Amino acid sequence: MRKFLFLVLMATLIPGLMAANAYPAEETIKLGLAGPLTGDQGAFGEQLKNGGTIAMEEWNEKGGVLGKKIEIIWGDDQHDPKQAVAVANKFVNEGVVGVIGHFNSSCSIPASTVYTKVPIPQITPASTNPQFTERGLRNVFRVCGRDDQQGAVAADFIVNTLKKTRVAVFHDKTTYGQGLADETVKGLKKLGVEPVFYTGIVQGDKDYTAVLTAAKQKNPEVLYFGGIHPEAILLAKQSKDLGLNTIFVSGDGVFIQEFIDGAGPAAEGAYISFTPDQEKIPEAQPFIKKFRQKFPQAKEVGAYTIYSYVATNILLEAIKGTNSTDGNKLIDYIHKTKFNTALGPIQFDEKGDVLESPYVFWQVKNGKFVQVQELKK
Amino acid sequence: MSFLEYIIQQLINGLTIGAVYALIALGYTMVYGIIELINFAHGEIYMIGAYIGIITLGVLSAQGLTQSSLALAMGIVLVVSMVYCAAYGFTMERIAYRPLRQAPRLSPLITALGMSIFLQNYVMLTQGARDKFFPPLFTGGINIDEVRISYIQVFIMGISVLLMIALQLFIKNTRLGKAMRATAQDKKMASLVGINIDRVISITFIIGSSLAAVAGIMVGMYYGLVNFYIGYVAGLKAFTAAVLGGIGNIAGAMLGGFLLGLLEAFAAGFIPPPHGAQYKDVFAFTILVLVLIFRPSGLLGEQVAEKI
Repeated sequence: MRKFLFLVLMATLIPGLMAANAYPAEETIKLGLAGPLTGDQGAFGEQLKNGGTIAMEEWNEKGGVLGKKIEIIWGDDQHDPKQAVAVANKFVNEGVVGVIGHFNSSCSIPASTVYTKVPIPQITPASTNPQFTERGLRNVFRVCGRDDQQGAVAADFIVNTLKKTRVAVFHDKTTYGQGLADETVKGLKKLGVEPVFYTGIVQGDKDYTAVLTAAKQKNPEVLYFGGIHPEAILLAKQSKDLGLNTIFVSGDGVFIQEFIDGAGPAAEGAYISFTPDQEKIPEAQPFIKKFRQKFPQAKEVGAYTIYSYVATNILLEAIKGTNSTDGNKLIDYIHKTKFNTALGPIQFDEKGDVLESPYVFWQVKNGKFVQVQELKK
Repeated sequence: MSFLEYIIQQLINGLTIGAVYALIALGYTMVYGIIELINFAHGEIYMIGAYIGIITLGVLSAQGLTQSSLALAMGIVLVVSMVYCAAYGFTMERIAYRPLRQAPRLSPLITALGMSIFLQNYVMLTQGARDKFFPPLFTGGINIDEVRISYIQVFIMGISVLLMIALQLFIKNTRLGKAMRATAQDKKMASLVGINIDRVISITFIIGSSLAAVAGIMVGMYYGLVNFYIGYVAGLKAFTAAVLGGIGNIAGAMLGGFLLGLLEAFAAGFIPPPHGAQYKDVFAFTILVLVLIFRPSGLLGEQVAEKI
């Protein structure tokens, strides 16, 4: 009986505590930012977080937007599609007016179905799978490129620049990884090259020696991987350990210093496709300077920090421009406005893709990414 | 590469990872043999072992020891990590399992799951959520025609086999080993003839945890990276290996570990792409189901009278 009374007492206390927290001191404009903030892809999540934080602080220093301070609510999807939907629902419940994210296409796509019902605008800084904007949703935008563009550039680079025809293609079975690998295969076939080996691998596995040994049987010259850096590190290392004499080629999911640090000498000479050097974009310089001031210990700005910064700025400019937090108004505004951003002018087409999104190849040289290809006009 | 060389190469791939599974599986099977508890937190001990290894290596290479004497540095790393993990295993048993010795069997099982979640999050909070990288120490390898064995693979298989032989000798020939076997057979009877049961159980945890520490370091060096949830998958695989071989049986755990590693390698290597690498786990677990249908107590579960 005493236990029961105790339970009843606890049960009445807990809602009381929660109610005490339900009224924040000051009303804010809430944005949601989602990505793999922890876990093996946490390094990318951190980049998104840094970019969003800098944008938020800049606006708050100027007094916020619509007379209120801006608050970003962080959502950690751990690159898990199920978790991404949970994060999306949390955002909607907390009343965010716009979302920056998610990072992985496999998360952005399921989450977008939640955001579109409200609707709230969703701008991804990094999800490149074509499907994200190909489903007729009005509220989705991306400030990065698409994998059909990236795959075509990769195929052209392998065949025409590297002059290799024996390509082994690996992907991590995710929406992004397999999507990119398939677009590259499509591009290769257009150029008359049939991959000698094509396989999916399981994300989170650590041992790929068996499947690499199988690939070795086909004497590939190039190992193309569609996926993210944790698996890329293992593939690059284990292929070298097995004595595979291949050139490692991959996409924007591997464009991070972690890949070089993790794979060590095995990363040397690898080719990775990404957008041209941000250091050479004049509009990006104030942001890069600010990043270095704020994070003096950071080795590099990070590939997606600026994309997250730009996405946050576009959302806030839309709130300012429409003088409203109504989802439909914001979406219309983002569709028809040309934004001057740290990545240069950005305008979205009717699907939500950027009009121009260039990919070029970078190479790992002496432990650093170096751009080795100029933009083809 | 000829077909024979191909098979040998896949054999090496499979045996390397199999050796690691076997080392972790030993911890599961020894604990189960003695107190019939599936210690789900065992995978976490393996993960902690890898972290301790990376930290110790960092300190040693700052002192310049890894450059001057690699063997000595490796020895220190292994010993430090084993001691540390042994302390973890010992403490875990003391605070999480011993108070529940008389409780229904479900209680310690749930506690083990809780312990696993606790340790994972503890490491995440203290060491950060991002991958940590092992410095590459063993590079290069041996080429026999087209077959390639890297030095790290030799190191993994060598150390694992040595430890397994040592464990067998310990259990067969020492007084403590005898006490462990007696406890596994009948706890009450063993305590009547003067065996300190609590002490034997503590020692079992200590041995199992030290073996997991070694596995953690070796895998960390082999793959080059460590994060806070590697213990989950490795623990699951090692548990499978223990069940495959017959849980509670030491030789069974070793056999199960190697078998699972080989099954995975051959499934990934021989099922034609793109299915091989994707379905290797399906294949391995199908074999497990088949074994359990025909031999419910595992491959070596029945043939040996003693459980440990």
